[in-house]
Amino acid sequence: MKIIKTYFVIMVVFAMALQSCTKMDVFPSDQITTGSIPETADGILNVTNGNYSMFKDVLEFNGFKDDNNCYVRQYFQMTDFASNDIVCGQKTEDPLYYSFTYTHSPDQANARYFWYISYKIINGANTVIEIINRDDKFTDDVSQDLLGQNYFLRANCHFNLLRFYSKSYNDGDPNSNPGVILRESASEDGEKARASVEETYNFIINDLKTAASLMKSHTVNEYASKEAAWALLSRVYLYKEEYNLSNKYADSVINSGRFTLETAASFPTYFANTLNSKETIWAIAFTPVDNRGKFGSIASMIYSDGNSGWGEEFASQNYRDLLAENMADVRWSFIDTLYNGDEVQTKNGIPVFYITKFSFQDGDPNLASPAMMRLAEVYLNRAECYAHLNNVSGALEDVNTIRKNRGLENDLINSVPSGKTLIDVVLEERRRELAFEATTVFDYRRNKKDIERKYWGYHIRGLTSSTVDPENPPEGYDELVVKWNDPAGVYYIPVDEILANPLCVQN
Amino acid sequence: MKKILFLIVAVFSVYLAKAQFSGNVYDEDQNPLPGVTVVLKGTNTGTVTDLDGAFSIQAKEGDVLVFSFMGFQTQEIGVKVEKTLNVYLKQDVVNMDEVVVMGYSDKTKTEISSSVAVVDAGDLKDVTSDDLGSMIQGKVSGVQVVNSSGQPGSSSQIRIRGISTIKPGNEEPLYVVDGIIGGTYDPNDIETVTILKDAGATGMYGARANKGVIIITTKKAKSEKPLVTFKSSVGMRTADQGHLTMMNSEDFYNTTQELYRDPETHEIDKIKFYQDFPQSLKERDFSWTGESFTPAMVQNYHLSVSGKKKDFSYYVSGTYYDEDGTFTNTGYKKINLRANTNYKLSKSVNLKNNINIRNSNTSAYDYMDMYYTYLNLPWDNAFDSTGHARYVDSRTPDWWSRDNINPLHSIDNSDYNYTDFSLDYDLVLDINIFKWLTFSSSNRMSYSTGKTHNFVSPKAAGTYHDKGYIFENQTNWKGFVSTNLLKFKFETGKHNISGLAGFEVNNGYFNFMSVEGKGLPEGFDVPSVASSELNIAGSNTKDYFRSFISQVNYNYNRTYFVTASYRIDATSNFPPDSRIAHFPSLSASWLMSNMDFMEGLSWWNVLKIRASYGITGDPDIGASRYMGLFSLNTQYNGNPAAVPYQLQNYNLTWEKTNEINIGMDFGFFNRLNMSVDLYNNVTKNLIVLASQPLSQGFEYRWENSGEVINKGIELGLNALIIQKKSFEWNVGLSFAKNKNTLTGIDKPFYTTVSGISQIYRNDAEIYTFVLPKWLGVDSETGAPLWEKLIKDENGNVVGSEATSQYAEATPQEVGNALPDFVGGINTSVSYKGFELFANFVYQYGNDIYNFTRRFMDHDGHEPYYNYMEPADDWVRWTKPGDIATHPSMLNAELSRENSSRYLEDGSYFRLNSISLAYTFPRQMIKKILLKGLTLSVNANNVFTLTKYWGQDPEVNLQQSDWAMPGVSDFKYPNNKQLVFNIEVKF
Repeated sequence: MKIIKTYFVIMVVFAMALQSCTKMDVFPSDQITTGSIPETADGILNVTNGNYSMFKDVLEFNGFKDDNNCYVRQYFQMTDFASNDIVCGQKTEDPLYYSFTYTHSPDQANARYFWYISYKIINGANTVIEIINRDDKFTDDVSQDLLGQNYFLRANCHFNLLRFYSKSYNDGDPNSNPGVILRESASEDGEKARASVEETYNFIINDLKTAASLMKSHTVNEYASKEAAWALLSRVYLYKEEYNLSNKYADSVINSGRFTLETAASFPTYFANTLNSKETIWAIAFTPVDNRGKFGSIASMIYSDGNSGWGEEFASQNYRDLLAENMADVRWSFIDTLYNGDEVQTKNGIPVFYITKFSFQDGDPNLASPAMMRLAEVYLNRAECYAHLNNVSGALEDVNTIRKNRGLENDLINSVPSGKTLIDVVLEERRRELAFEATTVFDYRRNKKDIERKYWGYHIRGLTSSTVDPENPPEGYDELVVKWNDPAGVYYIPVDEILANPLCVQN
Repeated sequence: MKKILFLIVAVFSVYLAKAQFSGNVYDEDQNPLPGVTVVLKGTNTGTVTDLDGAFSIQAKEGDVLVFSFMGFQTQEIGVKVEKTLNVYLKQDVVNMDEVVVMGYSDKTKTEISSSVAVVDAGDLKDVTSDDLGSMIQGKVSGVQVVNSSGQPGSSSQIRIRGISTIKPGNEEPLYVVDGIIGGTYDPNDIETVTILKDAGATGMYGARANKGVIIITTKKAKSEKPLVTFKSSVGMRTADQGHLTMMNSEDFYNTTQELYRDPETHEIDKIKFYQDFPQSLKERDFSWTGESFTPAMVQNYHLSVSGKKKDFSYYVSGTYYDEDGTFTNTGYKKINLRANTNYKLSKSVNLKNNINIRNSNTSAYDYMDMYYTYLNLPWDNAFDSTGHARYVDSRTPDWWSRDNINPLHSIDNSDYNYTDFSLDYDLVLDINIFKWLTFSSSNRMSYSTGKTHNFVSPKAAGTYHDKGYIFENQTNWKGFVSTNLLKFKFETGKHNISGLAGFEVNNGYFNFMSVEGKGLPEGFDVPSVASSELNIAGSNTKDYFRSFISQVNYNYNRTYFVTASYRIDATSNFPPDSRIAHFPSLSASWLMSNMDFMEGLSWWNVLKIRASYGITGDPDIGASRYMGLFSLNTQYNGNPAAVPYQLQNYNLTWEKTNEINIGMDFGFFNRLNMSVDLYNNVTKNLIVLASQPLSQGFEYRWENSGEVINKGIELGLNALIIQKKSFEWNVGLSFAKNKNTLTGIDKPFYTTVSGISQIYRNDAEIYTFVLPKWLGVDSETGAPLWEKLIKDENGNVVGSEATSQYAEATPQEVGNALPDFVGGINTSVSYKGFELFANFVYQYGNDIYNFTRRFMDHDGHEPYYNYMEPADDWVRWTKPGDIATHPSMLNAELSRENSSRYLEDGSYFRLNSISLAYTFPRQMIKKILLKGLTLSVNANNVFTLTKYWGQDPEVNLQQSDWAMPGVSDFKYPNNKQLVFNIEVKF
């Protein structure tokens, strides 16, 4: 009996010892190790899709997913709220408020997340670029096109970072002004200094040219294409004041035949249908599951159907005045006035003119696939170049091309009106057309024009609704004009970067 | 034959003078006590009680019987005519032979060389809860318990000897139920709770022990006859809002006027004010908190049956616990079933079976509903004329609150449910191979499943989710633990040696699946009916643990004790090269009171000196933290997508704590028991989320860096001040001081949640707040003032000045979330059948960031959020020259931004519980065939003394995604409760 027991015990102990020798590697069930990406059939395709997805997704940051943290939401808010297209109707805890007031700090969440997610996309792009360039099995056309798309995404992210976190090209010396950190490899050392503005431009242009040479022409606009690279080159060269080169690439896009402008009849529904429109060059695809709702959609802050959004920021009086030059302008379709009986309803003293450029895909007030580039901008890029090159007829022709398709075919501009310059004409049209699309604030800076915000709104710090006087415009507040080169318009490098990367200088 | 005759004569002659007396001996809980020595005083005549606690002895009237039993106070009883004696022995206050459950092995108090505290069932009676933490609060020194939420079914946070880790994740001690890691239990089934505090004791749990170990032992049969116990508790609870009261209509109206003070005359512009805010508003007074927080009921019913037969014993119990929440539509219900059985299969083989089944259902709430309950204005009524909560949106006329949201309507039209089912089956086999050698195999199979059901009806419309919303999440967890040990024991004269060695295997498997959708038809709340934005998610994880365990105990003459243990652990959480870790521990003690030279000092019962050293670890980081990873849980335009997720670090290794403990135990007069412990715990190779330059595309990487030192002193004291036959007064005190220091990190780093920062730097405590320092109000302008530090070119501070520009204020270290000391006072007075018990807890020296005050004490920044009623010493600036605490509402730019303005002293002293119980005399209830009947009433969270101007000062100490330790956000208020109990035994 005792022997049996002893035997039993030894067996158990032996079995346990065996068990403990088994392999203990645990691989996650919904993640792929970096090393095995090239080994799966769709590895590089999936990572490329991931790079696009980061424009629309809310990623965990500082330990949790905050619906405020989304590339495109911040891309539009951090630019348009700093311009004079949109008025702030309510103070808020959300750091988007600082774009109105120009009271930024290095630790504000939106600017930190935008920096972070931009570089995360760049990391993903670099991962694909390195895999394809390293491995001979990726020489096929499809892989090479993916390679081009990733060069494009890397350039696009670096360019937007440059616009947000550096002085504009014409503000001081671009050879000594710090640009952004250029990330050329997924595995490079964390500590790295900022390149100059000039170097950053050259890096971006280089990437875009490579991208254009690798990519094909696509029929879908939710992915980058050869034409998207040209369109971005046209934009980048315009910012860099190389007007002939900008024109060259604008011509390439316009002459590619792939795109056509929406007409006055179809334009009012354009923003609900960007993915199906021939005007769109590149848009970020939002499907119904990507609906960020009240807490995270771009629309939420600027539109509400009652309860769909917070609806706290509105089209500014300054912008409405510009549109009001001709009430036939179909661009009024994107302004939705909230009435209380016959009167325009106010919020905290500010009249409510909602903006609908980010609504109504599938009829949903919070759903849209924002266009990052569309044909109208390319025409207006070219018009601006012509204006700088003093080609009056070229500039006006492009401006009128837009006007013809926006319900103003009876109100074409055939000569520069007195009291205005050609640049003014182009910029006004550009603003009417591209307001709320992350461009107006840069148009002012690029052309050294101050931003006038002489209307009631909570960009005026310390304003209370008891002070708002609807009869008279505000006077005597510092916030009513922002200088085109106000250093407060440049976002701070996030504090996280400064602390962890001593080579990086603060703005 | 002669002998027999002599015996008969002798017996007969005795019989003439003496009579046969019989009786029963019980402990205080009415359980029969076998083996009690009964001696006729002054003689050697005596007997021993049998298994039922019965004895019989010959004695004559006037004799005195002495009852003695190890661990109990000796009792003398005079013999009277009554034939049957019922004797109840009381447990010794200082009982060195009491067996303490230590996890893998049991020891008597005498043998223990480490810092261990035991709380038994009797000490837990004063609190009715489903949460063990709230039951042991203030009762064990060195154990900090924080009830950070009053949500029904929530658990308190327990911290043993400070905080030893800075990584995010679980900070709770390791739980061991009935000797096996993990497991579930019902508080009503607890027999004892053992808290292991130093490495001498926790070392046996090596890899997972660095946050301390709590060992729970459930009840088993004590008496042979079946004992049925039924306990019923029913009570009411109310929300403890502490010092927080929201303003009523009139107060809010008057406060709002401050926004209309003329900047020149400093008088209120009443004309404009009345224009914007008609005086009729004052008539509208709706109390959002009053409507949403209502008294709630708590009920607990517990039935158990236990008994023993020759080779078989059983304890079977069932509990139903039902707790309504004080916040509308919240609650928690639980059913727990337990069966503990023990079979003696043969002389040398014993089989133990424990089964626990639990099913609970939690009705939770949405944070935003709580938020608006506090902040909506008293001018808005939640109900329509029919008394139903009304729907509100931005088109609702005459709605004054900042956001057009009616939380009561949202609550009526939503559900946040969580149901949980868990099953634990333990099988423990002990085989006695030789007299000195036992094989013990402890095995547990656990299964638990949980389901979350979140639903918002389309009737609540777009309040948070348009067109209706459903989210369901199903989780499954399966765990398996098997511990196989050989245990040996030799006793040769004065040398006693024992020990164990063996293997442990522990596997865990977790998976979840969730679905989400919108667009629901009214009246339906299942995923099948969702029409749009359908989303699914699901994944699984595994973890493996393999351990080698060993321990040797030696003692010489039960005076000198040494225990050494060695444990080797391997876990899948670490990379292959650092997977295996070693955890030795050594402890020794000297029981001086067993020495000859102490013999003369009979009043000095116990004097013991202890010392221990050991290494413990903490592997709680989750799986695969060392791998470079791309996450696949997203899509782009409906295609699979992979996103950079984690930077690799194959150098990641264990975080280990070196623990030293020195302690002394004293016992005097059999009445006074005292322990003092000093400890120094150094946690090395801290696992940190090391910040990376964001421009790499990653926030952080899992790395090892730095050390945390926790040193402290603990005092525990228990005194039986008065001990009379029917009157007793007992007092217990606990005190623990802990000092935490961080050291050896490369460069300081911060954590920031909601704009509030805490610094981690060398030579500072963790959880140190870094905020601009508030300097009050400029008495000339009424503007807020902060401190601006002036630095020279080397960065040294050379001076300071006050500034009204928030941006210029210098963030600096202004406080800390960790208390200097914590403890409790317990006292009980018993008179005849009455027992009055009170438990006080205290905490001193911690700071709380009162985040909610940013919203409720906002200087008019949010004119349509309600204010909290001010404290007595708050003064609003209205005109030049005012010495104020609160700035002018018209000159308060950024005044409510995060600063030390909202950092408050979190010290408190609380009467945590008071209870009065009456146990009926046995004679009285015997007639109705009862073995025991106790009535009691408990009041919990009776009053709190604190300066903290918020809900109550028990504030979250867990680092998590949205919470920072020491920050009080809108929390579910704690409860005050009054509970009536009846306990019947038959």
